[in-house]
Amino acid sequence: MNRLYDMEPRVMDDEMLKLAVGEQGPREEAGQLAKQEGILFKDVLSLQLDFQNILRIDNLWQFENLQKLQLDNNIIEKIEGLENLTRLVWLDLSFNNIEAIEGLDMLVNLEDLSLFNNRISKIDSLDALVKLQVLSLGNNCIENMMNIIYLRRFKALRTLSLSGNPVAEDEDYKMFICAYLPNLVYLDFRRLDDHMKELAEMKHQYSIDELKHRENLMQAQLEDEQARREELEEHKAAFVEQLNGTFLFDSMYAEDVEGSKLSHLPGVGELLEAYKDKFVIICLNIFEYGLKQQEKRKAELDTFMECVQEAIQENQEQGKLKIAKFEEKHLLSLNAIREESELSNIETKIVEYSEDITELLNVLMMLEMQLVEQLEETINMFERNIIDLVGLFVENVQSLMAQCRDLENHHHEKLLEIAINVLEKTVKGEMDEDLPDDLRSLFVDKDTIVNAVGASHDIHLLKIDNREDELVTRVNSWCTHLLDKVHKDEIMRNRQRVKEINQYVDHAQSELDSLECGDLLD
Amino acid sequence: MEVLKEKVEEEEAAEREEAAERAERGEKTKRPMEVRRGEATMTQEMLRDLERKLSEIEVSVPEKLLTFTKDTIDTSKLPFSYQSNTLKEEQLLQVADNFSRQYSHLCPDRVPLFLHPLNECEVPKFVSTTIRPTLMPYPELYNWDTCAQFVSDFLSMVPLPDPLKPTVKEQEKAPPKKYAIKPPRDLTSRFEQEQEVKRQEVIKAEEENRKKQEEARLLEQENAKTDPLHGLRVHSWVLVLSGKREVPESFFIDPFTACSYSTQDDHFLGIESLWNHKNYWVNMQDCWNCCKELIFDLGDPVRWEYLLLGTHKPFLSLTEEEDEGMNDDDDVENLGKEDEDKSFDMPPSWVEQIEISPEAFETRCPNGKKVIQYKKAKLEKWAPYLNNNGLVCRLTTYEDLECTKALEMKEWYQNREDMLELKHINKITGLNVDYFKPGHPQALRMHSYKSMQPEMDRVMEFYETARVDGLIKREETPKTMTEYYQGRPDFLSYRHVNFGPRMKKLALNSAESNPRPMVKITERFFRNPATPADEDVAERVFLIAEERIQLRYHCRSDHITANKREFLRRTEVDSKGNKIIMTSDMCISFEVEPMEHTKKLLYQYEAMMKLKNEEKMSRHQAWESELEVLEILKLREEEEEAHTLTISIYDTKRNEKSKEYREAMERVLHEEHLRQVEAQLDYLAPFLAQLPPGEKLTRWQAVRLKDECLNDFKQRLIDKANLIQARFEKETQELQKKQQWYQENQVTLTPEDEDLYLSYCSQAMFRIRILEQRLSRHKELAPLKYLALEEKLYKDPRLVELLKVFV
Repeated sequence: MNRLYDMEPRVMDDEMLKLAVGEQGPREEAGQLAKQEGILFKDVLSLQLDFQNILRIDNLWQFENLQKLQLDNNIIEKIEGLENLTRLVWLDLSFNNIEAIEGLDMLVNLEDLSLFNNRISKIDSLDALVKLQVLSLGNNCIENMMNIIYLRRFKALRTLSLSGNPVAEDEDYKMFICAYLPNLVYLDFRRLDDHMKELAEMKHQYSIDELKHRENLMQAQLEDEQARREELEEHKAAFVEQLNGTFLFDSMYAEDVEGSKLSHLPGVGELLEAYKDKFVIICLNIFEYGLKQQEKRKAELDTFMECVQEAIQENQEQGKLKIAKFEEKHLLSLNAIREESELSNIETKIVEYSEDITELLNVLMMLEMQLVEQLEETINMFERNIIDLVGLFVENVQSLMAQCRDLENHHHEKLLEIAINVLEKTVKGEMDEDLPDDLRSLFVDKDTIVNAVGASHDIHLLKIDNREDELVTRVNSWCTHLLDKVHKDEIMRNRQRVKEINQYVDHAQSELDSLECGDLLD
Repeated sequence: MEVLKEKVEEEEAAEREEAAERAERGEKTKRPMEVRRGEATMTQEMLRDLERKLSEIEVSVPEKLLTFTKDTIDTSKLPFSYQSNTLKEEQLLQVADNFSRQYSHLCPDRVPLFLHPLNECEVPKFVSTTIRPTLMPYPELYNWDTCAQFVSDFLSMVPLPDPLKPTVKEQEKAPPKKYAIKPPRDLTSRFEQEQEVKRQEVIKAEEENRKKQEEARLLEQENAKTDPLHGLRVHSWVLVLSGKREVPESFFIDPFTACSYSTQDDHFLGIESLWNHKNYWVNMQDCWNCCKELIFDLGDPVRWEYLLLGTHKPFLSLTEEEDEGMNDDDDVENLGKEDEDKSFDMPPSWVEQIEISPEAFETRCPNGKKVIQYKKAKLEKWAPYLNNNGLVCRLTTYEDLECTKALEMKEWYQNREDMLELKHINKITGLNVDYFKPGHPQALRMHSYKSMQPEMDRVMEFYETARVDGLIKREETPKTMTEYYQGRPDFLSYRHVNFGPRMKKLALNSAESNPRPMVKITERFFRNPATPADEDVAERVFLIAEERIQLRYHCRSDHITANKREFLRRTEVDSKGNKIIMTSDMCISFEVEPMEHTKKLLYQYEAMMKLKNEEKMSRHQAWESELEVLEILKLREEEEEAHTLTISIYDTKRNEKSKEYREAMERVLHEEHLRQVEAQLDYLAPFLAQLPPGEKLTRWQAVRLKDECLNDFKQRLIDKANLIQARFEKETQELQKKQQWYQENQVTLTPEDEDLYLSYCSQAMFRIRILEQRLSRHKELAPLKYLALEEKLYKDPRLVELLKVFV
């Protein structure tokens, strides 16, 4: 840390990088070629920038394929500018002035990280480094032993160095690490022996067990959540998410102020219960039907994809066969032309050969056209089927939703009846039960109460309509997207293949042409 | 004898009664029993009459049965049961006689029954009693196929005096050929194809016809000698009935060939009778259609006439469902009666239990060798370890019926150290194919060759999992070598090397240092899933002479064309005299999806350098393969020369090492035992015996006993010393006498006498020396032994209490 500051901090500019790349590039003959052609930054795999007095990491974004980067012995204070180096495996930032670990979140392939001799006091922000095997953090300012527990998440970590930190002064230091990082093999450049590990494990058994228990709980929780999320995704894919319970019904009453007020009317409670039960049963029906239909659609799609793949495979095999045959002949004829001395013979052979090429082109194109036709037919059939399936699904869901609406209407009528009864009673003063104040306020006249009940009803219907609309729109758009994709994929495939064939034939032709030129020159 | 006869008669009567009863029952239940129906109406007189008639009938038992070599068996050493019949056996013979008489009365035109042939001691024995079910300790004998194989090997067939041998006919029929026609192409004319197919069919049909005619002609030729004894021979074979031990269908086993035949087989013309160790049945069914329509339900008395009314009902009596109930009822009714007077159990077998020693079992065939002659083929079998090259079986097939021109030979080996299993020699093409079991030092699986000289046509197959390089097969011709690999980390699957002619100028050196120059190496690789298909080389060709390297890459799953690259190595100089390192025309590539980085000269240069290195490696590997072939050939020759056999460590007889070890162990045990016996020797016993028995020892007696014992021992030691001394002196004296004699007669002695004298001297000297040693040893040990005995006596439980006082 008592670095010599006799040099000005330098900036990582293009010039510096080019120089480094040039110096560290290939040597001798290859070096001459490299010089001649120039090396692109993105082709560089390893870069060494030590003792350059660099203050700030910069200008590295072009080194997409860099695997090894050495920035040791500089005066870097902050880890930054490494976002594009996702292929990095080896990073050396030792002997710098870094105070915090940061900016490493994109380096998912990193296996070896050295931060030796810096000013780091806390180990964190390494979560992305799932492949980390070697971590060097010696000569830093780490004081708290708890930092070590953080390292438990790196399952591949085998080598760790922490000497020269305050934490290493602790007499329990080695034992603690052994106990908490049982997979570690080397600590501070020394191999940990098994006896030591056993001792450490015994010593810290209780706290480790507790820790493990907590970790397991966390893990289980995470898994649970994951499973739930996946399930929801699955339901969403079937467009019937949250229909397997009271969610829709509850949402109907969530924004319905009048409805909840009215539920306090005598007899409405039971009515509501019965209504809810019936409603939920219909929802469940929709849900189950939806899952079944999803299965069907998936099966349909899978069969279709499988058939298409099979057809394409078969066609490709035929094409490959033709090409293999052609190539066999091609080698022979090229050799024959090369060895032929008489000009007229050469010409006839060349003509023959170019005929062969044209024939190959025709055959391959014919195969492709055949496939296109076959696939078109299949795709159309699939399109019809899937649209039918979706149509059927929508239709049935709509009829089930209509049942929901009927229920709601029925409930509305009943509720209205009760409300009017209550109103009459109140008007007559026969109302013996006590009603809540806000409810009582509704029973002023008939219009008010009818309006209130009507508003509640409207809200309910709206909710049902919304859910239905959402389902229908989503399933339809899914269908359209799917079909679009199928068509597009087929078009892309066709273009690719035509391009490929033409390219190949062009190549063959150009080979022949070059031969012709060469021969003519001879 | 009289009494016996009566008893038998009684039995016969009872049997007949029973039969009559059965017949009556048959009437009642309307069972189809034509045979018995007539008898049902018989009266007592008729029965008597029949009995008389029957006793008059003389059955001629064929006397030719005992033609085998009697003189090889020493009958006097056989057990008593062989030489005589027990009472029960006599009784059984009577029953059998009676049965046979009835039989020849009822079926006068059938062959007499084979009931009681004479045994080794000329004693008639009923056939069933010659069978003794025995469990053998060999797992091979537990199943019919291996058991039959053993029996057929163990028996040697002695042809009957009849000149016509029973031949085993072999019928070879070519399997029907399938004429699979490839599906026609879409664009060709169906009509033409059909015509073509028709034409082909006609041709084929003609061919077929011709072939058939040819075959028929050959068959006729071979069968020209028709069998004059067809249908007249009687043969014994084994019938295995279905039911037990998961046997789904009854079948026959021929004991001489160990082949199994279906009961439908044409070769079995009919069955006279069946027997096992419990009973004897005569077939009453018509055999007009060989054995095809026989029903093997031995419980059915219409189809199978039994000899003994067994209490053990033979299985399978339930073909008709209604039978079951009926029989059960009958059984209950007749139970007491039958048990009382009718049931006659088969007496126990008179033969000794068969004993097959492990050696005999292993040797199998008589003298360990067996030759079986087939039509146009000869099979020879040997016991393991009989031939010192491990040969156990040889099958030679011949071109002609006389077996003079061998076509091919197959030789099976066992226990070979080089794991050779089968040698297949084709005499016509001269092709030898050796097959090996896993475990050859070079992991060889198969080696096919015409000559053991290197650089000739040969194929070697290997157990690739046993090889580090994963080599499966190596094929060689004089100019090429092709290798096939599997499961290599570099995914190499195939390497083909073309060799050019040898350079003449290097002929000075030995052949090994002058390998053939390689002209071309072709290598193919499996797909490496870790790299993308368009960067994964599928085939590379090193055209060494032309300095050209061709690469073909794998085809991507959605493509039909693959990348190609060709490198031309040229070392040229540009106009300024600088060496040209790399130019774009040195690498011609075709890329399905053009990539940017491959266009760079640097990339191409590096790729080419890498390939150059790999070319060197490939050449080296090919060279090593050549060396390996030489090595294997050398090894094979050595192995053929030595043909060592392996001996299992469990084979205590053959394994010398383990035998020695075992004997040493036994010796040690024996010695240990002797020592123990000595330790247990009661040195007090003779002295205790002098005292009155049953009395407790007094102290005085004990002391005397001890002293006597010690004195006795001392005396014996002295005696022994004296004895040795005496012998020593005697020997010395004799030697001195002899020496004296020699000195006196030295002049007149013949050289022989002198030799004798000298040898005597040396022997006498040896004896004297030994005696001397023994004496000195005895002197040394005697006091120690004396003290040891004294010690022992003081500790003897019988004396310890009494002697304690003095200590």
